[in-house]
Amino acid sequence: MGDRLNKLAAKLLNSSDGSHRARLIPVGGGKGGVGKSFVVANLAASLARLGHRVVAVDGDLEGPNLHTCVGVPRPRVSLADFVAQREEDLGKLLLDTPIPNLHLIAATDGNLATPQPTQSRRVHLMRELRELDADFVFFDLGAGTHAAVMDYFMIGDEGLIVIAPEPTSVENAYGFVRAAFYRRLRLAMASHDMRKIVTLAMDQRNERGIRTPLELLREIQMLDPAEGARFVETMHAFHPRIVMNDVRTADDIKLGFSIQSVCRKFFGIEAEYLGYVNHDESARRSVCARRPLIDVYPRSDAAIYISRIARKLLANGAAGDSPEGSA
Amino acid sequence: MKSISEQNHYEILETHPTATREEIERAYRLALATYSDDSLAGYSVFAEGDAAALRERVEMAYRVLSDSRMRSEYDATLEIEPEDELPPAEPSAPLVPVEDPMGSPVPLHHDEFTHLDDGSGDFDGERLRHFRIRCGMEIEDIARVTKINPTYLGFIEEERFADLPDSVYVRGFVTAYANCVGLEGRSVAASYMKRFDKGDGGRRKGRFFESR
Repeated sequence: MGDRLNKLAAKLLNSSDGSHRARLIPVGGGKGGVGKSFVVANLAASLARLGHRVVAVDGDLEGPNLHTCVGVPRPRVSLADFVAQREEDLGKLLLDTPIPNLHLIAATDGNLATPQPTQSRRVHLMRELRELDADFVFFDLGAGTHAAVMDYFMIGDEGLIVIAPEPTSVENAYGFVRAAFYRRLRLAMASHDMRKIVTLAMDQRNERGIRTPLELLREIQMLDPAEGARFVETMHAFHPRIVMNDVRTADDIKLGFSIQSVCRKFFGIEAEYLGYVNHDESARRSVCARRPLIDVYPRSDAAIYISRIARKLLANGAAGDSPEGSA
Repeated sequence: MKSISEQNHYEILETHPTATREEIERAYRLALATYSDDSLAGYSVFAEGDAAALRERVEMAYRVLSDSRMRSEYDATLEIEPEDELPPAEPSAPLVPVEDPMGSPVPLHHDEFTHLDDGSGDFDGERLRHFRIRCGMEIEDIARVTKINPTYLGFIEEERFADLPDSVYVRGFVTAYANCVGLEGRSVAASYMKRFDKGDGGRRKGRFFESR
């Protein structure tokens, strides 16, 4: 089943049949409480305000709150209906929001005993997400780096990682980047032996002492140059995008560059620093008002910063829609 | 994919052979912050000695690249084409770490948010502060460039007019500050000084003239 999921992910990653497909943007970060849902709600609202058809999907079945951030207080249907196989068509779970052009798929009312979809259901979900009739689909992932989260992160064109300028968030973000890269790498390796080594390297106390993706690359290049070449190719294609949230000082802003540098030097991974959202009391007030900041305080600093990130996403999409340009 | 030991000075500083002196300086400052022992970005990744070893490479790279003669000699060994003059007026493509991820490679120009806030209209201390933060600059950074006492720069942002010197100085300070964050200094100063004249600054000036 794991192989089936991986094959689908690989297929989705490489699909380029020329038909109109929504840009699927998974948003993770490893740690909870860093503002993922806030960022997703407002990026989605911002793009919707610019006239794009946007769907914001809450993928956090165990802690859903995207519906609150976009202003849908009591969703009548949700992803939980899809997980429980009460509904097969994701399109029927779309809910209107107060923002024109923005629809929501909530994650409320999940089954407390088995909130997460089975692997086969995940396969189905990922396919359905691609089929949604929209220009952008944001997929707000839950905290952590468990398999479901990483699989969802992997299918997206251009995954975003939301980081708060604090040690706990930064640590978890590195864990997230590494986990995402290793899972992608395991897909790319043709030989069973090399896949085994990747799996081994994912154990951070592994017997070979491999600490970073760069060290793993050296190991694989030595054992199998052809697989080493595939490794480098995978590395070059992996560009997670960083958004620093709730920044208060110039040092917080610079932290994004430092993380980018550490990713480059120690992991060999080119992360893109997409932008930052400053600390703004109006952000908290908008969450309390259960509406997107873009909607209630459009002239606030944080709303302006989020609009800039949205415009950058648009510009990036226009610059390169090829799979090579994707994360 | 080069390991750290294989990287040249430009790669260590994550800049490029056509970098201006200003870009080299900025890259160096960022590298020092990133690879300090207590770096928030690195402490959970670095093994014992990693940061110190990198700092050593960073220092060596900076020593060479910040000295025109040494840099020219070094460039000759890299088989790259050095620029005719090291500090060109205009920056090249944004290949280097920049101060503002949403702006241009030089923090003093911010094309991306001109459509959001084009710098026209009235300016108060708060709006000046916003532009500074967007540039990723601390008060001290502005002070270093403009040579203005950082305390006064803080007063300008907080509009503590009564604590600022005479208007002729304040106008100069605001002009320099605005230029430093990529704004049109004269028009920003003209707008700010209207507030200054209406506030304590103006009253103080009035008293000054009355007392004469």
